Amino acid sequence: MDRAKHILQEGGEHAVLMLHGLSSSPLEMRFLARHLNNEGFTAFAPVLDGYSAGTSERDMQAWVDAAVHEFDKLAKRYARVSVCGLSVGAALALAVVNQRPTAHAVVLLSVTLSYDGWAIPWYRFLLGWAYYTPLRSRWRYREASPFGLRNEALRAKIARAMQRNGISEVGPSTISLPALREASRLATRVRAKLADIATDCLIIHAIDDETANPRNAHYVAAKIASPFLRTIYLDDSYHMITSDNEREIVASETAAFLRESEAARGIGNGAKSQVVSKALARRLRQLAALGS
Amino acid sequence: MPGAFFCVAATLIEYFFGLGPALTVMLVGLVIADYLFVPPYADFSVFDYHDVRLLLSYPTLTIFIIALIERLRRMQFRAELFASVAKSRYEMLLRADNNRALRLRTIDETHRLLRHLPHYHDTIILIQALDRKASLRPDAEHAAGSASTLPHTSAPGSRFSSVHPADIARLQNTLSPGSHRLRVKSGEHHYKPVDCVGERFTTHAGDFLVLRIED
Repeated sequence: MDRAKHILQEGGEHAVLMLHGLSSSPLEMRFLARHLNNEGFTAFAPVLDGYSAGTSERDMQAWVDAAVHEFDKLAKRYARVSVCGLSVGAALALAVVNQRPTAHAVVLLSVTLSYDGWAIPWYRFLLGWAYYTPLRSRWRYREASPFGLRNEALRAKIARAMQRNGISEVGPSTISLPALREASRLATRVRAKLADIATDCLIIHAIDDETANPRNAHYVAAKIASPFLRTIYLDDSYHMITSDNEREIVASETAAFLRESEAARGIGNGAKSQVVSKALARRLRQLAALGS
Repeated sequence: MPGAFFCVAATLIEYFFGLGPALTVMLVGLVIADYLFVPPYADFSVFDYHDVRLLLSYPTLTIFIIALIERLRRMQFRAELFASVAKSRYEMLLRADNNRALRLRTIDETHRLLRHLPHYHDTIILIQALDRKASLRPDAEHAAGSASTLPHTSAPGSRFSSVHPADIARLQNTLSPGSHRLRVKSGEHHYKPVDCVGERFTTHAGDFLVLRIED
């Protein structure tokens, strides 16, 4: 498996650190990075040592340290840095903003704190114990159709890429047992810290997610302490929402949320976040009444 | 029927806590019912017609009811997810509608500016772009004369040269929408205070402020 390359698309003063899924590559974030860059953001999807495909596996603390290091590098160069994560990358994004509360916003795409989607095999709960057996280094979880994609044409293309290269733009063909265990440890840590996170938060999740049940998104939305929280559910995608049928919605809503988060703090062009639609004003009043 | 109480208990547990706890209660109830309510009481050693009747009727009925409630619960969860999708889409629609309304407003403002400029052409002193990125005079650095004293975000109007230079310098820092009083040349070396008005236009190309002599 080739070592993946990071994606850097220089734009404005607001940088977005984009964390891909477990043992995968920044390719997962390519479409979103391009869209955010077109909207004036700087998009950076790094290769994290010990976490990304093609690097030697390390424990989850090394993943968090590597991601925080990338965040700090961006924070030195740009006025604002937001963190966006996909799948286990979303859990990693939560760990980063927990350590760096100065982060402008956090975007959680198909957040995965527990592998409990409809395509996860029934014996998944045994894998935690299998880690302590010789299977630890011999057995690998093999990705199978639908590969997180509802789009059948794209799914066929991904299947061919996985057979040929062992990795595709939606992830690797196999994931090792130690990596899965570290992901579970990361999820446990993030669960305990959710109530301490007060960064603006956008959650986007597909209701038919085959890897992480929408309960993951419900859980995060219920526990996180963000004053500005938006949850969006999709119904024409599976797990890989940055590549599937609704990737344009994911990209445009992410950019809109980051802009609104800026406007809420009086940064950027305030006119863009003005509410002139009476229907939207009414809806916002309803939401405010529900929240109070 | 000895299992009736435990059947109700398992049904209530299924309704409030879900499938796993309900099945646990059903199995525990089966053992307790057989031990306490099936003759001979408090004795597992005898297995007869009464035990068979309990083993067939109680689990069958309880699992049937639990399965129905579980099915409804799953359908309810699914319906709630669809409601969440509908809510998300409605809010996306409202945000898109808001953007559309904002764009319509900027188009109206652009039209108003386009009507304003020729109408007041002879009284305009200054046009300023309020968006820092906007530039009204990209060639400002090479421009000569009094206009070169303006930043590149401002453009002089037809009456710019007749305004007192000190007022021009003051305007560069304090120009805002509303009324202003400026000294305007009325003779060879004589300046007279004149009421001026600044109007803001929010167009698709950015915000502009037009300062002109009031009618």
